[in-house]
Order: sequence, then structure tokens, then C-alpha cells
Amino acid sequence: MMSKRLGKQLLAGPFLLWMVAFTIIPLILMGIKGFTTADGAFTLENILAMGSEMNIQALILSLQLSLMSTVICLLLAYPLAMILRKMGDSNSVIVFLFVLPMWMNFLLRTIAWQSLLEKEGVINGILTALHLPTIDIINTPAAIVLGMVYNFLPFMILPLYNCLAKIDDNVVNAAHDLGANWLQTFVRVILPLSVPGIISGVTMVFVPALTTFVISDILGGSKILLIGNIIEQQFTVSYDWNTGAGLSIVLMIFVLLSMALINIFDKDGEGTVL
Amino acid sequence: MKKAIERLYLAIIFLFLYAPIATLIVLSFNSSKSRANWGGFTTQWYSEMLSSEVIMDALGNSLSIALFSAVISTVIGLLACIGINAMRKGPKTICLTLNNIPMLNAEIVTGLSLMICFGVFGVSLGYGTILVSHVAFCIPYVILSIMPRLKQTSTATYEAAQDLGATPLQAFFQVVLPDLMPGVLSGFLMAFTMSLDDFVISYFTRGRGINTISTLVYSQVRRGIVPTMYALSTVIFLAVLVFLLAQNFLPQKLDKLTRKLHEKRSLKGGDEGGGKWVMVAAGVLAVTALILLIVPGGEEKEEEVVYVYNCGEYIDEAVIDIFEEETGIRVVYDTFETLEAMYPIIEQGQAVYDVVCPSDYMIQKMIANDLLTPIDFSNVPNLEYIGQDYLQACRSFDPNNEYAVPYTWGTVGILYNTKLMDEVPNSWSILWDERYDNEILMQKSVRDAFAVALAYQGSSINATDPEEILAARDLLMAQKPLVQAYVVDQVRDKMIGGEAAMGVIYSGEYLYCHDENPDLAYVVPDEGSCVWFDCWVIPKNAENKENAEAWINFLCRPDIAMMNFEYITYASPNTAVIAELDEEIVNDPGVFADEATMGRCEVFTWLGDEVEEIYNESWLEILAYSDEAAGVEAVDPDSEE
Repeated sequence: MMSKRLGKQLLAGPFLLWMVAFTIIPLILMGIKGFTTADGAFTLENILAMGSEMNIQALILSLQLSLMSTVICLLLAYPLAMILRKMGDSNSVIVFLFVLPMWMNFLLRTIAWQSLLEKEGVINGILTALHLPTIDIINTPAAIVLGMVYNFLPFMILPLYNCLAKIDDNVVNAAHDLGANWLQTFVRVILPLSVPGIISGVTMVFVPALTTFVISDILGGSKILLIGNIIEQQFTVSYDWNTGAGLSIVLMIFVLLSMALINIFDKDGEGTVL
Repeated sequence: MKKAIERLYLAIIFLFLYAPIATLIVLSFNSSKSRANWGGFTTQWYSEMLSSEVIMDALGNSLSIALFSAVISTVIGLLACIGINAMRKGPKTICLTLNNIPMLNAEIVTGLSLMICFGVFGVSLGYGTILVSHVAFCIPYVILSIMPRLKQTSTATYEAAQDLGATPLQAFFQVVLPDLMPGVLSGFLMAFTMSLDDFVISYFTRGRGINTISTLVYSQVRRGIVPTMYALSTVIFLAVLVFLLAQNFLPQKLDKLTRKLHEKRSLKGGDEGGGKWVMVAAGVLAVTALILLIVPGGEEKEEEVVYVYNCGEYIDEAVIDIFEEETGIRVVYDTFETLEAMYPIIEQGQAVYDVVCPSDYMIQKMIANDLLTPIDFSNVPNLEYIGQDYLQACRSFDPNNEYAVPYTWGTVGILYNTKLMDEVPNSWSILWDERYDNEILMQKSVRDAFAVALAYQGSSINATDPEEILAARDLLMAQKPLVQAYVVDQVRDKMIGGEAAMGVIYSGEYLYCHDENPDLAYVVPDEGSCVWFDCWVIPKNAENKENAEAWINFLCRPDIAMMNFEYITYASPNTAVIAELDEEIVNDPGVFADEATMGRCEVFTWLGDEVEEIYNESWLEILAYSDEAAGVEAVDPDSEE
């Protein structure tokens, strides 16, 4: 029995190899950059750079916007996943339709939102034709949140749906038979069973939203800097890789802490995260 | 009633997801190159797309990388899930933590760390490095798709199968795998789409001459998106959609067959449409394979070759074909987005180019850091067509005219919409005028933005005095609340579409913008501005120097220079071209700056590392700056939308 277990565990070998070679080692090298000056001497300056007013402000804003878009994604995706679960046989096509937009290039899709949201854009054109007040959210944080929700919504839908689809109908029926009303069934049965899906989804949305720089760049008119933009600028414009690496390390630690926090909700302790 | 609400909800979400896609599809049939104008229906972009080698290569790369990385990461991920699930809590936690790292990282960090890593171990960047990196970031998504499924699968069935005499392998394939299938397939699809959609990681791990669709789009963003990209996306999108519909409505028989097979394997019978998932995945494979077959690819034998590194959308591609035909030298053509992004690539030599097209101050920096080699002008007889005045002007950054051959030149000024403002913006001060709140577009480029503020406050655009620089910084911060956006290429589309009253722009864009929207005019304010030169130079480490010289010589040839001028509309320093052009264009100071304008303009010079750092830091502070109205507090009211 023991050897069989070991044999099974060995299946994770290629995964471990790949992760060490192409994730851990590169990160260690990046860490070395983050803790050294351009000349290779040890320094903490790059790490402490996060404490500057500008960077703190960007970090707080990134947090606000990414939290907001994660919550919106969850609120939009959960009912959707429930509906899909109920639809039974025809749902795979519909699920696929939710992934389909990702086949259009990410940059192009985001640029398309610009055309839609602009002052003289498509949406305002329609609103004007209908004699409705126009919206003016392009180049504001609201446009960035919209871009995040748009781009990351499929990452919330898929894990949620996967998880909900796996819940046995009999369990739900049993709850009904035992006298639970709709709300009770949802809160006491479905919701707890969908926690792994929620956690996967939240991870998949929150992290890219927190660290994005392309969406804020395109829909924020480069007027709003998120922490991702600052790091990107350090690398590409200032060409200060050491500071960029230092900030990245802090951001990583920060994300890890947030994840640990989210993980508190994963009661069975074997969640998909951490 | 409840059902109707559900339907409505689905419809609204679909509308949200597909609105931008519909926009792109409509734009792909727009005969105007601008996003803002509808110039009539055309299929021109589709034929252009099909005949463009660059696009077809990028498509082939994107699809094959997506396919391979999806297959590899699905196999590795599935094995890993089973392995991890069999572990005790300690190692399991370690593995799952490990798995989360690529997801928890900013993409840019993953991309850069990989680039550094490949650099340290001397792996040359190319197709392989992109593939390996894609697998690395796809695996976690696969595992996250399968893991919840696996956790909900009871081990009882697996054990039961073995009790009934199945080998572990049989039990796995016949019992466990069918149960996991929806997770595996959604993992596969996710990996495929993630890889196809990735930009950042490909961008940092690709080598010279290798493009995916994303990197190609990005490199063309600076000079304006070409509609061929919309066309390409539309084709990919429709191909997938048609397949989906076909498999849903046509082959009922096939469907039944799959279901039968499925029922045989699955203990539960009609599982949640697992058969459909198989079909979908098979379809993705089939469509990809088909497109890969159609895309002309294959290794060409290494004959004479020249590696060209240019700004995006900065050449008439037909010119490249003529060059290849006439000289037999194959052109590997790559583009960069900004000079700042180009520099480290040349400096580090991770990708070696034979001929590059940077601007003045960057050329000076490259000369100072010994990155360039002098051009052998006996191989560039067509230099005679380049006006002496221009060569003279180039001496400000290339003192002996040894290294650089001018390609285009122009000024930085204000493009303004005569319909939206009654006055001519003859002074930079208008960019600080509160009447134009939210009507101003600024260049998102350190030196250009600073040039505006420095000229406005009466300093040299090459100011090195920290006090002057900081004063300019404060001016730019004070201006920020009035600025609609900081843009590079989008200034064209936004101005054409009437989004803003004025924008800071390179003179080379004026002709195109004016053609698309006759209300637009261009002026170089009285305080003076920047005059710039983009030149071809040869990096020190070039491997095909003579071919690079042939390339430069070719571009100086009058007919070729003319083709380029007509395509990119940037002023040419080629006297033969100027002689051929209409008086009207030559005398338009917006296109060819007149002497009076030149008299008040300066060429950028490289200011040294220390001063450069002050500029860069100040620029970041400006971009990050927010007054209370536009800053963090503005978030809350917006959130109610």
C-alpha cells in the first residue's frame, strides 16, 4: 500500500521539475536583483522603495479596484453558474460561449472598450440617439474596474461552474425533503460546497486584477497608475531593474498575505490555494 | 417567470461579453483605417491579412504554441493532481503553494524573471523559450481546474473498480478519468486560451523575428492599430463559433456515438454533457491543426539574411518584399514600441539585430556606450539623395555623420480641432488653459512631455539643471487635472474622432489625421519645440553588416523612399522625394517644417545617465500624481455604477 502511494506521488514529478526550473529559479534570480544595487552590492533600498508616498498610493488604489472587481465578478458569476448548473445537457455549449471571447486578442478587446466608452463612442452614440444622458467614465477608475471585470469574468465563471456542476442533485433534494427552504438550502448546502470554486475564482480574478498594467493603461488613459504600472515603468522606462525587482518582491509578499487571508474561509483546510 | 429572468440575465451577460467583440468585427470591415471614422464597407483588410507573411507567421506561432503548451500542461497538470492528492498534508501544502506562485505573480514579474533566467544560463530566446514559459504559467490553471473535481470524486469507485479486477491503470482510465473529464477539458481549454491570449510573458521571452499575435498587435499599437488585426481576430473568432454551432446542430449521430461510448465508461450514465466537452476539445484541436496546415511555414534555409529592428507601423511592408526580391536577402523584420524598450535589448545582445531605427538622443546614447559601428558609406551610394541640411542637423548627435542615415524627421507640436476651438494654439500655455479641461491629450513619452513644459517655461528642451527639470515637473503635475489622457498612438484616433480639442503629436501624423478629418490642423507653438530625426544605425554586434548597408542604401533609393513616404506620411530627408512631391505638401509647415519653425526648435540630446534618472523619476511622479478630485476618493462614487 505504501509503495503504491509513493508511486502515485511520483506522478507529480514532472510538475515539480517544471516549477522549480521555470518558476523558482527565475524568481530566486529576480530576488537577487531585488536585494542588490546595479553594481551587485547588497541593499534593502529597492524593497523599502515601496514605502514612498507614490507607491503606497498606487498600491492602495490597486487594492481597492481589484477588490471591487473581484466582488463584482463573484456577484455576476455566481447566479450565472447556478443557472448553467440547472440547464443540464445544453450547458457545455453555453459555458464554451463564455470562454469564446478570450479568443479575440486581449489587447484588441480592451482597445475595443475604448471605442465603446469614449466621449464620442458607441455607447454614448446610442444613448444620445435615445435622448438619454451620456456616460463619461473613460479614463476614470470606473472604466478600469469595468475592464477588469470584463477581462477576468470568465476566470470566475469556469471554476464556479465546475464546482457547482459537481454537486449531486440528490443532496439538494434531500435538503428540500428535510424541510429546508430555498434560502436555507443555498446557505447551508450549496454555498459551503462551492467554497473551493469560489476560492479558485477569487484567486484567478483578484491576482491578475491587482497586478495588471495593460488595462489601467488603456482604459485609464495612463492617468491612473496602479502598482503594476509602476513596476512596468521601472523596467521599461526608467530601466531600473533592481528597484523594479524590489517592488515586485514586496508585491508578491503582499499577494501571498491576501491569499492567506482568503484561505481562512476554506474550512476543510485543503483548498486549492496554499 | 423565473426562467424568463434567468434567460434575461444570461442575455445581459452575453451582451456585456460580446459588445466589444461585435465592435471589432464591425471595424474589420471599415475601409477607413481609423477606429473613429466609418469609411464604408470593405473586405480589403482580409485580403491584406492573408497576403501578409508577418501576420501569417505570427498566427502560426500563436496557434502552435497554444496547442503544444495546452497539451503539455494538461498532461503534466493531470499527473500532478493525482500525485498531489496522494500526498500527506505537508508535502501537499508545499506543492499547492508552489502551484500558486505563477498565478500570484504579476505577469510582468514572471516574464522578466524568466528572461533574466534564460539570460543567466545563456539560453537564446526564441520559439522554445516562449513555449516553455507558457507551459509554466498554464500548469497552475490546469491544476486549479482539475483539483476541485478530484476532491469531490470519491475514491470508492476507484477502489471498487480494482476490487472488481481492474488494474490501477484500467481503473484510472475507465473510472477516475471520465469523472475528471470536465475538469481536464476545461483545464485544457483554459490553458489553450490563456496561452493564445498571453502578451506579457511572450513579450519578454521571445527572440528576434518571432512574433505571436499579441506581440505583433502590441508592436503596432504605437503607430496605430492596423485593421488587418481586427480582420485576423474576426476570422479566428468566427472559425471557432462556426465549429461550435456545427457540432451542436449537425452531427446528431456523432453525438449519440460519443454518448454511447461515454455511457460505457461512465458508471453514472448521462454525465453533465461530458461528451460535448470531448467534442469541443476535439474541435479546438481540429481547427488549430487545420489553420496550422494552411499557414505557410517551415524552415527556410539560411541564405543571406538581415535582421531589421524598427518602430511599429513605420514602413510600407511592400518595400520589404521588393528588397527581398531584388537582393535575394531575406528580411527578418521586428518592431519595438518605445526607444526605451529597444535600448536594453540592443545593449544586452540577447537578440542580435543588424540594423535598427532609433531617434537622435538615443543614437547619441548608443554611440556614447559604444553600441554602434560606423557605416561603410561606399556601400550606401544612395546617400547622395539625403539632403545636406539634414546630415548637418544630424551632427548634433552623430558629430562626424559616421553612424546614422536619416530616415524620417519632423517636429513635435499641437494637433487641434478647428471645430472645437476658435483660436490657434500658438503658445504652449493653452495646454494649461482651464477652458480646455478634459480636452487635452499629452504624449506618454518622457522626453516629449518634458519638452512641452520646458519650452513653455522658457528652458531648453535639453535642460540639465535639476531645478529647471523639477519646475517643469511641477508644471506637468499642475496640468494633469486638465489632461484627458496620456497617449502614444491613440492620439491619432482620438483626434480624428473628435474626442479632444487638441493633442501633442509628431508632425508625421498630421497628414494622415488631416486626410481622415479635415478639421484638424497642426501648429508648432511660438516658444519652440523639438525637432527630431529617426535614423538607421548598425549595432556593433551586427552579424550581417553588409546586408544592413544594402538595406539602408535601398531605403534611400528615391522610388522606395517615395513609397514609404506615401505610406507612413512622415517627412522624408530624401531630396529626390521632396522634388517629386506636390508643392502643397512640401510647403505645408505641418509636414516639412519651414525655416522659421526650425529656427525655434532644438534637437534632443542625450543628457547622461544621472540627468536621465531625474527625468525618469519625475515622469513617474507625474503619472502617479493625483489631485484629490481625480484620485483615490473618486473611486467610491463610481463604484455604484
